[in-house]
Amino acid sequence: MRRNAFFSPARILVIASHTFTHLVRMKVFYFLGVFAVLMLAASFFEMPWSRTTEDSAEQELIVLKSTAMGAMAMFSILFAIAATALLIPKDLEDRTLYTILSKPVPRLDYLLGKLAGVLILVTVSLLLMNGMLSIILHFKTEELLLVEMAKAEALGWTAEHLESRLSDVAQQGVTWTLQAGIGAILFKAMVMASLALLISTFSSSTLFTIVIAVVIYFMGHFTEDARNYWLHSQSGGVSKELKMMTQGIALIFPDFQLYNIIDSTIEGKKVPQGIFTRLAVLTLFYSGIYSVLAWFTFRKKEF
Amino acid sequence: MEDTPAVQINNLVKEFPSPFRKTKIRAVDDVSLTIMPGEVYGLIGPNGSGKSTTMKALLGLLRPTAGSCHVFGQNSLKTDSRQEIGFLPENPYFYKHLSGEETLRFYAKLCGMRGKALNNHVDKMLEMVSLEDARKRRVGGYSKGMLQRIGLAQALIHEPRLIILDEPTAGVDPVGSREIRDLIVQLKDKGVTVFLCSHLLEQVQEVCDHVGIIFNGKIVKAGPLEELIAIEDQTEILIKDAGPRTLARIKAVIADSENADFVSMGKPRTTLERLFLDEAKKSQANTMTTEQKGGDHA
Repeated sequence: MRRNAFFSPARILVIASHTFTHLVRMKVFYFLGVFAVLMLAASFFEMPWSRTTEDSAEQELIVLKSTAMGAMAMFSILFAIAATALLIPKDLEDRTLYTILSKPVPRLDYLLGKLAGVLILVTVSLLLMNGMLSIILHFKTEELLLVEMAKAEALGWTAEHLESRLSDVAQQGVTWTLQAGIGAILFKAMVMASLALLISTFSSSTLFTIVIAVVIYFMGHFTEDARNYWLHSQSGGVSKELKMMTQGIALIFPDFQLYNIIDSTIEGKKVPQGIFTRLAVLTLFYSGIYSVLAWFTFRKKEF
Repeated sequence: MEDTPAVQINNLVKEFPSPFRKTKIRAVDDVSLTIMPGEVYGLIGPNGSGKSTTMKALLGLLRPTAGSCHVFGQNSLKTDSRQEIGFLPENPYFYKHLSGEETLRFYAKLCGMRGKALNNHVDKMLEMVSLEDARKRRVGGYSKGMLQRIGLAQALIHEPRLIILDEPTAGVDPVGSREIRDLIVQLKDKGVTVFLCSHLLEQVQEVCDHVGIIFNGKIVKAGPLEELIAIEDQTEILIKDAGPRTLARIKAVIADSENADFVSMGKPRTTLERLFLDEAKKSQANTMTTEQKGGDHA
């Protein structure tokens, strides 16, 4: 009898591409229409104090980016949680899981394939939304630069002043910093998808998985504050055991405050490459831990 | 002939926890059975007797509480054992968004098939289950019989040596049911081992050469079908075109015999299924002839 590979990237890819096709044929990309309408509405938005303060051009671009990236974060988290929570229970309910696991498919390959399929969907969605945002932001920035130049001519700005203004406006346009922010949105979705995968391996329903994942998502935004408050409120210093316990809790509830670079990128602030790399490593760590735990639960699960 | 059994189940016990009781529910109780390569084994029993649980244990979908299951000598809990198994679950549902062809391609790829071999196998399987015309149609629109047939095709896509069928004709009309039975016979002729679970006794009798009867999780009777159903002290003689005189002489011979007793005499009957299939064939042929005549007339 031939030996079956314990872990096969080719098989994972087959399951991932099938999962992606499954989700696409569920017409999930219809949301792009909603996103496009939202983007167009935001691009026509003008500040109430428009043209009254010097930085109003930047503010308009920030509103556009904030709306778009807020929607991107919402859609990606929604897809990551809902799609992952739906897939395994549906396979079990339809008994398609029996036909897959009765083939020489290790359970680890099945889990990773499903996760990878959802992540491909989130990545493609973010790329498409990023494309739309970049196009609209580019044209809006060009338009506002022309307005600034017209202003300079009317008000008789010096060449240095004009250059500084143009640079300030351009910094709020399509930049690598903005791409780093979108990367952070993807990282956050990756963590949530792997967390939802872990929950779905022991949960009894899709609804339970979604509710628990959403609760952990919100808790993840307060983990750091809660930990700092609690550690500082301990009189007489913190014992080694307490520190280990808080670190353990930080593993269960991911610290999403670390992903706050998204807000900085919306404001056009530069993100050091070191911080972005650390965030990528942290994401891999969280996703890896949750995937391994999901495998431990799933490998002996009975159907 | 190969010596390693295709299926070897040793003292299998499977218990499930009961939600509101301390005691566990024993679904399978000390079941042992051996299926040699090339045999068609039918496990029969009423609903809830432990047939599906036994199959799931053999597929590694359930872990035995006690005992063990082996497929061609390999423990069924190991993924490797599944290389030799094709499985059709009871009332299978496949991904509705895929067409018949895409479904087979997906399962073939899971088994590691690629390129030309994959294309050839998919075509061969679609032809075998007579679904070539429906290959591009979404599985969501398939009838019950078509679903069973595509299920059988996916089970056979990697040319396994053992095929496990859980109620393969459940809910299928007599014509579809006959087609599935013919496919099982074809597999048997090719030397594929078949493990069949059913509570349709006539179906099992027609295709199986070994049978096990399971009740409340226990095998109560098992062995070669012919041995199990033969009535040892009776003999059946079928005579064609025998007149009343011939029959009377036969009766007289039996009456003269010292040990033999006459039991019954009558005309053998066809089955309702055979009658239905013959009539279906005839009306299909009539419809085709009428259509052809209409066409010629036009």
